[in-house]
Amino acid sequence: MKNHFRQLLAGPYIVWMIGFTVIPLLLIVFYGLTDKSGAFTLANVTSIATPEHMKALGLSLGLSLISTAICLLIAYPLAMILRRRGIGHSSFMVFIFILPMWMNFLLRTLAWQTLLEKNGVINGILGFLHLPELAVINTPAAIVLGMVYNFLPFMILPVYNVLEKIDDNTVNAARDLGAGELQTLLYVWFPLSVPGIISGITMVFVPALTTFVISNLLGGSKILLIGNVIEQEFTKGSNWNLGSGLSLVLMLFILLSMALIAKYDKDGEGTAL
Amino acid sequence: MKRYRLKQFFQDFYLVLVILFLYAPIVTMIVLSFNDTKSRTLWGGFTLRWYADMLQDTAIMNALHNTLLIALLSALAATVIGTAAAIGINSMKKLPRSIVMGVNNIPMLNSDIVTGISLMLAFIAFGISLGFKTVLIAHITFNVPYVLLSVLPKLRQTSRYTYEAALDLGAGPLQAFFKVVFPDILPGVLSGFLMAFTMSLDDFIITHFTRGAGIDTLSTLIYSEVRRGINPSMYALSAIIFLTVLALLILTNFSPEEKKGKTAAGIEAAARKRRRFARIRGGILAAASFSIFAVVSLSTWNRYAASHSDELYVYNWGEYIDESVITQFEEETGIHVTYDLFETNEEMYPVIEAGAVRYDAVCPSDYMIQRMAENGLLAEINFDNLPNLKHIDPVYLEMSREFDPENRYSVPYTWGTVGILYNTKLIEEKNLPVPRRWSDLWNPAYAGEILMQDSVRDAFMVALKSLGYSMNTEDMRELTEARDLLIAQKPLVQAYVIDQVRDKMIGGEAALGVIYSGEMLYLQEEVASQNLDFTLEYVIPEEGTNLWIDSWVIPANARNKENAEKWIDFLCRPDIALKNFEYITYATPNRAAKALLDESLQNNKAIFPDMESLAQSEVYRYLGDETDAVYNSLWKEVKSR
Amino acid sequence: MSQPFIDLQHISKSFDGTLVLDDLCLSVKENSFVTLLGPSGCGKTTTLRIIGGFETPDAGRVIFDGEDITRLPPNKRQLNTVFQKYALFPHMSIADNIAFGLRIRRKPKSYIDDKIRYALRLVNLEGFEHRTVDSLSGGQQQRIAIARAIVNEPRVLLLDEPLGALDLKLRQDMQYELIRLKNELGITFIYVTHDQEEALTMSDTIVVMNQGYIQQMGTPEQIYNEPENAFVADFIGESNILDGLMIRDELVEIAGARFACVDKGFGTNRPVDVVIRPEDIDLVKPEEGTLTGVVTHLIFKGVHYEMEVTTPDGFEWLVHSTDLSPVGERVGIRVDPFDIQIMNKPASEDEEAVGVNE
Repeated sequence: MKNHFRQLLAGPYIVWMIGFTVIPLLLIVFYGLTDKSGAFTLANVTSIATPEHMKALGLSLGLSLISTAICLLIAYPLAMILRRRGIGHSSFMVFIFILPMWMNFLLRTLAWQTLLEKNGVINGILGFLHLPELAVINTPAAIVLGMVYNFLPFMILPVYNVLEKIDDNTVNAARDLGAGELQTLLYVWFPLSVPGIISGITMVFVPALTTFVISNLLGGSKILLIGNVIEQEFTKGSNWNLGSGLSLVLMLFILLSMALIAKYDKDGEGTAL
Repeated sequence: MKRYRLKQFFQDFYLVLVILFLYAPIVTMIVLSFNDTKSRTLWGGFTLRWYADMLQDTAIMNALHNTLLIALLSALAATVIGTAAAIGINSMKKLPRSIVMGVNNIPMLNSDIVTGISLMLAFIAFGISLGFKTVLIAHITFNVPYVLLSVLPKLRQTSRYTYEAALDLGAGPLQAFFKVVFPDILPGVLSGFLMAFTMSLDDFIITHFTRGAGIDTLSTLIYSEVRRGINPSMYALSAIIFLTVLALLILTNFSPEEKKGKTAAGIEAAARKRRRFARIRGGILAAASFSIFAVVSLSTWNRYAASHSDELYVYNWGEYIDESVITQFEEETGIHVTYDLFETNEEMYPVIEAGAVRYDAVCPSDYMIQRMAENGLLAEINFDNLPNLKHIDPVYLEMSREFDPENRYSVPYTWGTVGILYNTKLIEEKNLPVPRRWSDLWNPAYAGEILMQDSVRDAFMVALKSLGYSMNTEDMRELTEARDLLIAQKPLVQAYVIDQVRDKMIGGEAALGVIYSGEMLYLQEEVASQNLDFTLEYVIPEEGTNLWIDSWVIPANARNKENAEKWIDFLCRPDIALKNFEYITYATPNRAAKALLDESLQNNKAIFPDMESLAQSEVYRYLGDETDAVYNSLWKEVKSR
Repeated sequence: MSQPFIDLQHISKSFDGTLVLDDLCLSVKENSFVTLLGPSGCGKTTTLRIIGGFETPDAGRVIFDGEDITRLPPNKRQLNTVFQKYALFPHMSIADNIAFGLRIRRKPKSYIDDKIRYALRLVNLEGFEHRTVDSLSGGQQQRIAIARAIVNEPRVLLLDEPLGALDLKLRQDMQYELIRLKNELGITFIYVTHDQEEALTMSDTIVVMNQGYIQQMGTPEQIYNEPENAFVADFIGESNILDGLMIRDELVEIAGARFACVDKGFGTNRPVDVVIRPEDIDLVKPEEGTLTGVVTHLIFKGVHYEMEVTTPDGFEWLVHSTDLSPVGERVGIRVDPFDIQIMNKPASEDEEAVGVNE
């Protein structure tokens, strides 16, 4: 009786979700599987196999995987150090590492453009020191840098959260049983932090895979990622069917990572900021 | 011990390194926001003028207003919907709960681009025209999951028994909820609200796809600004945003260090202190949200208090009008103008085609006008309403027949050529030849110094012309040849740009840039005013080039056709055309306005080239959707290479 | 008999298709201390929640002082609950917690202040008014939960395993505390626990429940000494439950030996269950015993020794005695007639559950 009333409170949101989450997704499926005249076709989806789309998808996958790996390599030791420094002052420290996340995403990317340009700040400093100039802007390296910079906090946070929850005594027990530093890391810290790592990976990988902003701003439009292809089909190419079809392919990868999260991060802790 | 200290040192070093990586860009921007030159490397002294510029920039201020209003409204709505939903979901059985939670997770785990696209498709399918409300709905949609995510765990933590205890002690269900459960989950509700607020502030991608006429948030504004070139006002904006966020987060996240006193008195004192601080913090939060709310509602009031029955929706290229012209038009006619920008013809077309936003006056280029007319997207202009048309030189009306054979749909606004702009100093320093022909853009000596246009037709025009073919070719062999040529050129190209070409040429980033003739004058003036040590020169390549006309048209689905005609007529007035020419520096087809110019300008062959020298040149024609698709896919092959 | 104070009539309740209470009837007299005792999942907490108003029964009625309160919401009932995990409001001070119910009822401030002081004194926590909930120990929180309930002067106090989260010593202290409170307040206590010792110590009446049925209801002595079926015997204390054959009235055969007993009316030559408490078995010299066996296990338990004696038929008798018989010794087993409890064998699982209810 009381429960029924309470369940009704979810009603508005359920209606909202159907209207603005479920139906829109179904529309993508509809557009993705039809042509301009509305007839059923698989051509939009299969067009992922054309060389230019494959190239863009491959590049996206490659760059986002590299970025994810770099993020993990930077974030894990960092989270470890923060965790081991204890709780008291580290809450402010943790905050320091997450703060850039709240800065506008485009401004963060703009900052790197400023730094990396041919006549940008870094080259200015290098020139002042009579060092050779860097030619990073408009290359895949610049895009990777942009991805790492933008998404690093998304890796730090879940990994740190999960490390934070590991009981000191679990670690002490391992030491007590004769495990060395490395062994403790390998057999205790690491396995226990897998849920955090997994959600960190998906939180970096998905936006990196689908970005079009970073590649536009730091890649000089020379480098086409799958996100750029889709964005252009909607804003410039005006082929919404093709764009939707490619989005469907993209969603496949997102679904994969969702499945991964569901498997390892059952409490949804990692995704909670 | 020594080893321990060494380890400590390495750890500290590592932390500092990461902090440097994270903050160097932000600090750089803050420093540059006080730099008196536009240069990124030269310190020209301390100034606050970028801050002043920013505060006076109506576009930025409007965007700020929109951003705050949308963030506030969407966070509020999401908090109410989400908290109610959390309570409902919490009392559901397992199966329905996991279904709801599964759907709830979609916007969070799905990529923003897919969410944005899907919402855009849905709005268009539902017949909701893109604008403020669609952005608001989109933001609520992606905000609710965050509220749910922070409220649900709190609800689950809250012992069911405390609610029952309150009932047991005589409270009614509502009383029990607000006295016992709500205070318990309040931290979750608050953090959900804050998270929603910041998510909304930060969002770009979803807004990008769901926004419509005249609605810019800071993010979308920054995106178009950045693509146009870096404006130091953006640095000022970054600095302000960063410091605001920093202050807010410090206030909300940190309570004074809790002493772990063991004595009862200590515990009590700590508890009291904590409560007092919580109250102060709550007060500050409330004050902050109230002041945001007040500012936003005041400016909303200001904006809509003067209600206007007469509307005009204008869709134009960026930097393609003197803004005072809009104000003057509004004052003289009493018509309220909503002014929106596009970057390329190709970007503009689907917006008009879908009718997502119903514009009244649009300014596309020649071939796009042909395409729109052929696809029935244009309304015939009633030339009786355009007494000022007589000031337009008939030569250009004649030229317009290429794409508007009966002169029914369009009124010329600007015209010009496409050519190569080069940096005299860089050319000299590197001992490079002065470019004369398109084919010079394939000279390996220019490697990394070339800026190409990031638009299909312009890029192919360059390649086709250098091969001696027509730029309107439909011959597959010629096109693939052009494609291969563009692919071969790609390693030499520094970047494909549109409006950014200006900023990069002024910044001395590249030696050569493919550019519209009208930009030349503006760039030369800018270089002169900044006292830079080089000059920029414009050349029309010998193989012939694109002769283009941008004209005003009225879409078939326009709601205020007569206002649009008033607008177009207004722009044909000689004094207005002159004002616009001085601002945008693109050649005007308005002979009365041209007659008002300096002699030297009238005779500047780069701006007003002789018709004879353009013998080799062509006007773009619309080649049909199929050929367009061929161009597009060939271009994609170039870009993805 | 006077009219019952609380009367549960034919209550049934199921959750998600699982029957938790089946046609349960229970009467509680005013001013009694009634304990619902049983293993987890037996329906005792559900019974309490139905009395408290947190659950509505699928069938049956709840009568409170002659009035039907089956559908009355909890906030309208003249009874209060002490919850399993105390359910104190974490965001309020101790005083605010205690004052909650009084403020809801808009009592004057001076009255509330007096009540808080009175209640804190009653639970021996004077001066704790301004402490926060999380600065209190489990036992202290427990007392506050009780104080919060009793300031409202309920006519019945419902206690749902209130001592479950406390350690042994504290639990024993709190048991005495509760008895004292009960005597001082003079109101009805309905107490839920799975701890038989708690039940035996505090209650006037014990209701043993299993699988949604009442197995036996009676004074602690009755429940302990005269369990009415094997479940009750097994659940309350330790016992030897043996297969027996009722030869005739007052004579039962166990493991081939005949024991004198005091039970009658089971007929002749009928199989029965026989319950003998371990402390009621006397170990004597083999020739003096009704039955002989060998000591196979021995543990010192402090107050007594616990031994296992295996008889030739293979049954292991559990024996508590202050006298020691070493492992391997051959002993005789003797039981006084009134220490032997005879019960009908259940025909089926169901009947076992229904037990004395019929």
